[in-house]
Amino acid sequence: MTATLDEARLDDTFAALANPTRRAILRRLAAGEANVNELAEPFDLTLPAISKHIKVLERAGLVVRSQRAQYRPCTLDATPLAAISTWAEQYRPVWEARFHRMDEYLHQLQQPRKTGEPDD
Amino acid sequence: MTENRAANDAVMIERMLDAPVDLVWRMWTEPEHFAAWYGPDGATIPVANMDVRVGGSRLVCMEMQTPNGTMRMWFTGEYREVVANERLVYTECMSDENGNVLSPAEMGMPEGHPALTEVTVDIANVDGRTKMVMTHTGIPADSPGATGWTMAFTKLVAYIETQRSR
Repeated sequence: MTATLDEARLDDTFAALANPTRRAILRRLAAGEANVNELAEPFDLTLPAISKHIKVLERAGLVVRSQRAQYRPCTLDATPLAAISTWAEQYRPVWEARFHRMDEYLHQLQQPRKTGEPDD
Repeated sequence: MTENRAANDAVMIERMLDAPVDLVWRMWTEPEHFAAWYGPDGATIPVANMDVRVGGSRLVCMEMQTPNGTMRMWFTGEYREVVANERLVYTECMSDENGNVLSPAEMGMPEGHPALTEVTVDIANVDGRTKMVMTHTGIPADSPGATGWTMAFTKLVAYIETQRSR
C-alpha cells in the first residue's frame, strides 16, 4: 500500500525536521542555495557536524546537493513538506469513527422498543 | 469556499444519517447525546457543558485510561453560529478544567501553534434523512505530541512557501 510508503516517508521527514539546527538550515536554504561553509556560519558547530545534519536532510529528500565539484551547493527540495501539510488528513479517521458511533447511536435511539429517549 | 485551505489543513466529512435533522442537531447540542458518540473508543466524556447560542461557551472533558493512569483533557471554545437544525459553528482549544485557555507553550507545543481550531457542522433534511457535512479547520488539538509537530512543520512549510514565491 502507498499508505505504508507515505508513512515511512513521513517518518523520515519528521525525523529530519525534529531538530532546530536542521530547521534553521532549511529556512536558510529557502532563501537560496548555499554551500556547507555558508550554512555553518550562523552556528557554533563544526563543519563535520553541519555536514551530518545536511546528510540527514538529504536522506529525507529535503535537500539536494549538486555534484559540481568543490562548491557543492545545497538546495532545498520542499516536496516532502507537501505531504506534511496534508497531515491533518490523519485526523479524518478520528472523525470517521465518531460518526460511525453517532450513526449507531442514532439507530439505537430510534428503535421504539428499547430507548428511554422521549419522542418529541 | 476556501478549497485550498480545506485541502491543506482541514478535515471535511459528509455523511447521510438515518435520522431526522432535529435529532442530528441534538447530537451536537445536548451533552448526553454528544457524550454518547464523541469520545474516541476507550474514552468517556464526563463533562460537556454547552451554552449553545452565539457567543456562548463550551467546555468538554475527555477522559481516557492510559498505562500511566487516568488522563483528562479539557477543551473549551465558543459558539460562533447557531442556526437550529441547519448550521453550528464552534471553536475549540485546549484548556484547563476551568476553561482557561492553555497557551501552546503550556501544552509543550512549539511556538506558532494556533490555539484555536473551528468545527462547522451543516445539516439538511433529505427526504426524512439528514445530510451532514462537518469541517474541522486547522489542526485538531487532541494529540499534543503529534499536533505540536504538525504545527511546527506547517509553520515551516508556510514560511518556505512565502520565501519561494518572492
